[in-house]
Amino acid sequence: MPRWLRLTIVFGIGALVVVLMLSFRRDPHDIRTGTVGKPAAAFTLDRLDGNGKVALSDHAGKVVILNFWASWCIPCKEENPALVRVWERYRSSDVVLIGILYQDSLESARGYVRDNGVTWPTVTDEDGRVAFAYGVFGIPETYFIGPDGIIAGRHIGPIDEATLVAAIDGLRPKATR
Amino acid sequence: MTRERALILVALLAILGAVGWSARPHDVTAAERVDRITSELRCVTCQGLSVKDSPAASARQMRDIVIQRVAEGRTDDEIRDEFRASFGDWVLLSPPVSSWLGLIWLVPLAALAAGLAVALGRIRPGVPSVAAPPARELAALRERVAREEALDLPQADGAE
Repeated sequence: MPRWLRLTIVFGIGALVVVLMLSFRRDPHDIRTGTVGKPAAAFTLDRLDGNGKVALSDHAGKVVILNFWASWCIPCKEENPALVRVWERYRSSDVVLIGILYQDSLESARGYVRDNGVTWPTVTDEDGRVAFAYGVFGIPETYFIGPDGIIAGRHIGPIDEATLVAAIDGLRPKATR
Repeated sequence: MTRERALILVALLAILGAVGWSARPHDVTAAERVDRITSELRCVTCQGLSVKDSPAASARQMRDIVIQRVAEGRTDDEIRDEFRASFGDWVLLSPPVSSWLGLIWLVPLAALAAGLAVALGRIRPGVPSVAAPPARELAALRERVAREEALDLPQADGAE
């Protein structure tokens, strides 16, 4: 085999190893594609409990956590205790948690909310337009929107309390922490 | 025979005419545009299925968005760009050459080039790199060949 070919193959394998190393270093839950770093898409959606609507613009200047979920989603149930604890911790502050129902029936979702201690505002996205605008791959997915209205990050899959707190505190202005 | 040839000619012309008629330029309908765009978009909750081919609810919602955008008069590129803005280039089943994912198009070319190089390396007759024997060994070999030829000659004459 010619020397140049051996060098080319070695270089190719080396490049592949570098690419794989860089890829595996990243947190697979933290996908920085699509909408991250861009202004959060505005929405006004009906509340699941039927008491009016929730608009993202109502919470301008606050840290907003959007959590896409469904009652049939088992990982959503796994992460729910963490969401409950974080909501209890921040509900009286400048942090808003909004649950967005994704491809679910209203009856099942209302039962889930009642049985699992979901007291944060929850809205329905019946035609999936808001999920599309945010680039939701699947649920659960959680988006972190800073006071500037920019999507600072997203988490794919069930989220834990430490990740939620770290993301929220990283977005809140220092004076309010 | 001439009549058979004429029939064959007529049949060929008919086939060509039918093919040409079906391939004639025509205005693309909205449904055709929706089919084309959705066949290029990846169903985000499926494994390797296009939005057009997937029965998933998320694919149905994406298809509804494409239908709405086509009805609004958006171009194909504008619709594709909207999906790319939400999901990145990943949402396109054929990644654009201009993006990082487009590097994947180089993989088959590189594999082909490597295969050709290996094949050519094997097929090309190699030049034997045998070192020339030392002068003393060469002289001994020549002497031996001459001796054996001298021994062979009478036998060859006798055989004839």
